[in-house]
Parts: sequence; C-alpha cells; structure tokens
Amino acid sequence: MKHRCAAIFGYNEYSKQIVEQVKGSYHNIGIFVINDAEFLEAQNDGYSVEKFDLSDNWEDIEMRFDVNSLIVFCALNDDAENVFLTLSLRATFEKLFIITLAQDNESMMKMKSAGADKVMPILQIAANVIADILGKPIMTQVLHDVLYEDSDLTIMEMEIGENSPINGQYLHDIHFKRDFDLILLAIVDQEQGTTFSFASKGQNHHIDEGDILVLMGYKDKLQRLKEWNAGVSV
Amino acid sequence: MFARWVVDTAFFLHTCHPYQRTKIFFYNLLENQHYRYKKYFDLFMIGLIFLSVYILVSSVKHELPYSWLVFNNYVISLLFVLEYTLRFWVYSNNSKTIIEQYERDLFLHRPFSFLEAMKSIFKQKMEYVLSPTAIIDLLAIMPFFHEFRLLRIFILFRVLKLFRYAKSLRRLISILASKKFEIFTLIVFTLIMITVSSVLIYMMEANNPDSRINTLFDAVYWAVVTIFTVGYGDFVPVTHGGRIVAMMIIVSGIAVISFATSIVVSAFTEKLDEIKEEKLIDSVNALKRMYLVCGFSPLAHEVIRKLHKRHLPILVLEKDPQKVALARREGLLALAYDSASLHTYSLLKINFEHQVEAVILLHESDVANIYAGLTIRELTKIIPLYSVLHHLGNRKKFSLAGINHIVNTHELVGSMSRIIAHQPVAFEVIHALRSEQTSTIIDEIILDSTVSDRFYKLLNDPLFYQRFSVLGIFSTSTQLFHFNPNPERGIQPGDVAIVIANRNLIEEFRAKLHRRGKI
Repeated sequence: MKHRCAAIFGYNEYSKQIVEQVKGSYHNIGIFVINDAEFLEAQNDGYSVEKFDLSDNWEDIEMRFDVNSLIVFCALNDDAENVFLTLSLRATFEKLFIITLAQDNESMMKMKSAGADKVMPILQIAANVIADILGKPIMTQVLHDVLYEDSDLTIMEMEIGENSPINGQYLHDIHFKRDFDLILLAIVDQEQGTTFSFASKGQNHHIDEGDILVLMGYKDKLQRLKEWNAGVSV
Repeated sequence: MFARWVVDTAFFLHTCHPYQRTKIFFYNLLENQHYRYKKYFDLFMIGLIFLSVYILVSSVKHELPYSWLVFNNYVISLLFVLEYTLRFWVYSNNSKTIIEQYERDLFLHRPFSFLEAMKSIFKQKMEYVLSPTAIIDLLAIMPFFHEFRLLRIFILFRVLKLFRYAKSLRRLISILASKKFEIFTLIVFTLIMITVSSVLIYMMEANNPDSRINTLFDAVYWAVVTIFTVGYGDFVPVTHGGRIVAMMIIVSGIAVISFATSIVVSAFTEKLDEIKEEKLIDSVNALKRMYLVCGFSPLAHEVIRKLHKRHLPILVLEKDPQKVALARREGLLALAYDSASLHTYSLLKINFEHQVEAVILLHESDVANIYAGLTIRELTKIIPLYSVLHHLGNRKKFSLAGINHIVNTHELVGSMSRIIAHQPVAFEVIHALRSEQTSTIIDEIILDSTVSDRFYKLLNDPLFYQRFSVLGIFSTSTQLFHFNPNPERGIQPGDVAIVIANRNLIEEFRAKLHRRGKI
C-alpha cells in the first residue's frame, strides 16, 4: 500500500464514518479539528486529535507524518473551508494525496481547481445510489457487496510493470476471462493521460508499462495475476 | 304494518349487492368526475344536445323528415327523462335514511316514525329537484310535449345542460359564483338605472310627436340599448330633457361595463392559483405510473434529475410553497401538499397500487420522512418506500415505520472513502459506469430458463464477443451471485445478468435474446 498514514480534517458525521472505515488500513491516523466542540467529541471517542487553523503553518503535519506516505481527507462542514484547506495543503505539499468532500457538483469543480486529487460530491453520490436502487436494484446490491463488503469477490487496480509479461501485448491477446477467471473492466493508458477506456471498447489497445488495469474477480485469482504481472512465474 | 314492510324493504335494499352495485355504477357514471367512463357518457350527452339544436334550427326554414322530429321529440327527450330519473335516484339513499330513522327510534325506545323518515326523504329529493342544474334538466325535457309549440323553445335549455357535462363551463360558473355579492350589486344598480332612465325618457319624449319613443316598452328598450353602450340609433331622444337623460345614462353605462369587467377579471385573478392547482391535480390523476417524491430538498433535486432517465413521470409533494415554486420553475410536477397527511392523498385521489411505482422520502429531517412513511404505509403495504436517513441512530425507527430501502449519506461517504483511498482508479471506473456518463454502462438483464441456450450462444456471436462483458448472474431465488458464469450452469428462473457494454449493444442483446429464429 502506497499510503501508510492518514490525516482527517474535521470531526462530523462524515469524518466519523471515514475514520471507522479506514482506521484498519493505516498505521497512523490523525484527526485535525477546527473547534473545541469537535475536539472534545473526538477525544471522547478515543481518537488522537489535534487542533488546527486555516493558516499555512503545517509544521505539525510534517513532524507527525511522513508526508510522502500520507493521505488527507478534507471533511470540514463547510465547502468554502474545505476549498481553502485543500488550497493551503496543496500549496505546501505538492505530492500529497488529497481527498475532499463537496456538497454538490458545483463545489466539486472548485475542489478540483484547488488541487484535490479526488472529490466526493455528497449529493450526487447519494442521488446516484438512490436512482440505482430504484432502477437497477440487483446491480446495486452486487456492486455494493463487491466494493464495500468483505467478500471474496472484489475489484483490483494493477499497474503494468516493466518486467510484466503483459507489457507490450495487445489487449485481445490476453484472455483474462478464460485464463485467469477475471473480468477486465477498464484500462488507464498513461500515454493518453489519466483518461480510461473500457475493456469492451478498446480490444486493439496496446498495453504499455505504467498502464493501469481495473479487474474484478476472486481475491486468490487476482493475487495470482498480480504475482504474474510482477514477474513471478505462476 | 306498512311501516314494518317499508323498514324490511329498506334493509333488503341496503344489503342487496346487485342493487347497490347498480346504484354505484350509475352514480359514478353521472356524478363521479374521476370515473373512467364518465367522460364518454358526457361526450354522448353533448352530442345529443348539439344534434337536438341542429334539428331545431334546421326545422325553422326546412321541412324535415318525420323520423328526425320523432327522434328529437321522443328519443332524445326519453333519454333525458331517463337521465333525470337516474340522477333523482342516486342523489340520496332512501333505504339508508329509513334505516337511520328506524335505528334512532329503536335506540330511544319509541315506535318507528314513518312520516319523519318520509319527510327526510322528501327534503333530500326536493333539494335535488330545486337545484339549478336539475331545473335546467327538467326544462330540457319539455320539448317532449311538442304539441305545445311554444315548448319547442325549451330545446334551447338543452344547450344549458352543457354546463353539466363540460368541466370548463362548470369552473366558469363556480368562479363567477365567488363574486355573487358584487354581481348582485351590479344587477341592482343596472336595474335602478334602467328603471329611472326609462321612466325619465318616457316622460320627456312620449308626448313629443317628433320622437319615436312612444311607449314605456320603447323607453325600456332604448335605456337597455344605451346603458350597455350599444346604441343602435333606431330610437333617439329629440327633446333637450331626453338628451340630458341620454348623457347621464351613457356615462353610467360606462360605469356598468367597467364594473362588470372588473368583477369578472378579479374573480379569475383570485381563482387563478386554484384553477392551476385543479389542473395539476387532474394531470396527476391522469398519470398511469409515476414515482412519488416527498420533500423537495437539494438531494431530491438531484435524485429527480437522475430518475428522469427512466422516462417515468415524477410527482413532488412538498409543504413549503417556495420550494414548490422552485420545483415548478424546474418544470416538475409539484404540488404544495403535506406528504404526511392522509387528507392529501384522498384529495389528490392517488391510487397507490395502480399509479405509484415507488415512493421516495427525501425530506430534510428524519422526523418528516418517518411521518410521511407511516402515513403512506397506512394506505398501502405493497408499494416500496425508499428514504434518506440523516442520523444513523434513527435507522431502527425507519425499519419499524415500514421503509424498505434506507440510504445514509454518511455511511456511503465512509465506505467510498476506503475504496477511493486504496483504489482511486477502480473507483473512478465504477463511478463512470454507474453514473452513465459515457456510452459504456453497467446494466441488468432479466433472464428466464427459455433463453438459456440463446444467452450463451449470443455471447460468442461476433457482434458481442469481447465487446459484451457478463460480470455474473444473480439468482434471485438463492440470493447468490455467480461471477463469470460458464454455460454448464445454464439459466435458472429468476436469474438476472449483470453486464457491461455499450448501451446500444445492450439493447441489441436484449432484443436478440427474445427474438425467435436463428442467431
């Protein structure tokens, strides 16, 4: 895993859920709050919490975490504050991975402009899920289990290494389904920037080093492919 | 003895299903605006009215075939008599009135008062007979007695019957009725003006040999023609006094016209919102299938935007008129009604089982959502209820209220943050597939065992091979998901395939799956 520690800004209902979900994945989790009420609440819940202000003084962060392996969640109550926080962090740490919450699509654009790597627009996420449950209930249930539940069936993204046997091959030459019992969902081509194309569309795609494949399958089969990709003979 | 027989008959009729069913059928046909076949009945009656007037007008200068006159005088009249009688019958429930009187007397230990019951029945029926529409109905039947030639003019009363069948005309009457006092004042004012001016003009002009106004009738005719600013000019005052009266009446005529116009305009303005609301309710009733969204929050706005892709009408119920106005500006069908009130649903006459696909509770508070959910559950146990949950602590209450699907944004964001942190690219891919932003989408295909062979054969068809990914098959009977299924498993009843492909390709696959013949 690339990131070993996480800093979560704000302590509200959203950040509580984020902490709950990610606490098992990181060695070091720090919660940073802006007011006393949130400070006390986080402390009562047993978390290591520190106060911060929206100035550009991030020495505490640098002292506490290895910034290169840090992931940041900006989950303050106010969109404007989140934008400001994202800008401030990005101005100080160029390579920091920042995930920010936004109330809607409009704020999402601002967060992206401010330098957030990923933005979660709350309204759109909830609306998508409600519309999906209504229109495609089974698909929603299956994806929910694959993505969020601890099931054997899961999803994996895999970067093509220099020594990978896949490196240099065409997509139609590799039969993920037949040979690995996996389904390739999409591929991100480094040459074309960060845009991705779906496997069902680009069978003539030439796989190069640095491309990222997104696959679905059982954990053991995914692990097998991962090892093969890393150059381990399977 | 006779009274006893009457009570027994009343009880018999009250419990006689065919009798009650027939009565309800005729009530619906004649009076129930929401009855499906009423509009056909109304159209039929409107057709008869126009036919009747056409025959009357044609008979003025032409000799019509005898059969036409028979049709007009007897057949149409008989139909109107039948309609009048049926309306008279369904207007009140005699057996119920008798039973109520009987039970009241029984409770108070006194003998059954037959006369009292008859009095109540008579009162109810007279209420109908003396109602303006019933009087018009009766007058429209008069041409039946065509031997009295004057009664032929009563055919025109049939035109007035249009008020009964055309909803817009009924609405016009109800709007004008709201200004009863003003209209009455105007009529009194006009009558006084006509009386005073016609008497005055008669006094001034009657004895003048040059004047054509010689009788009181001439004077009244002149006053009416002048006061309503028509002024034919066939009668004109010639004396100075008469001309002064004319000037007075012309000025007051303008006042009468402007007063009348303002009454009508203000009545319409005041009722405009009500009319719009009525029209909206009518359009809700006309919907065959719809989503019902309770509460117009920012989340509701987004959900509705997504649901529009499903091409199913959406009705929004929101108490706050400002939010309703906002929804209407967005082009939505929104009504300012409380979604947590039973009265709302009876007023809107929403038939949950037949009209509503699903109810989505999107108020900004959990209390409002639970309250609305409970209200709807009182009306229907079948329709699925979806709700947003704002505070996780309330989840159990939502389940107890009978809400089937609960979505909490905090939990969603929490779960997503884990995926987005670990596998940002994979998250983007799934998000793009689900939000249908590109031509490639993830979708469900409902299968049945009859398409088993065809399903797997189609996957190897050059059109679909490597362009159509079947993630797996979900069995609704076992609730298990079979990832990357092989043909040996076959298709079981209740299976649903989850596929990823271009949306047009998915449509083509669906079509080919159920098409007969060779692939």
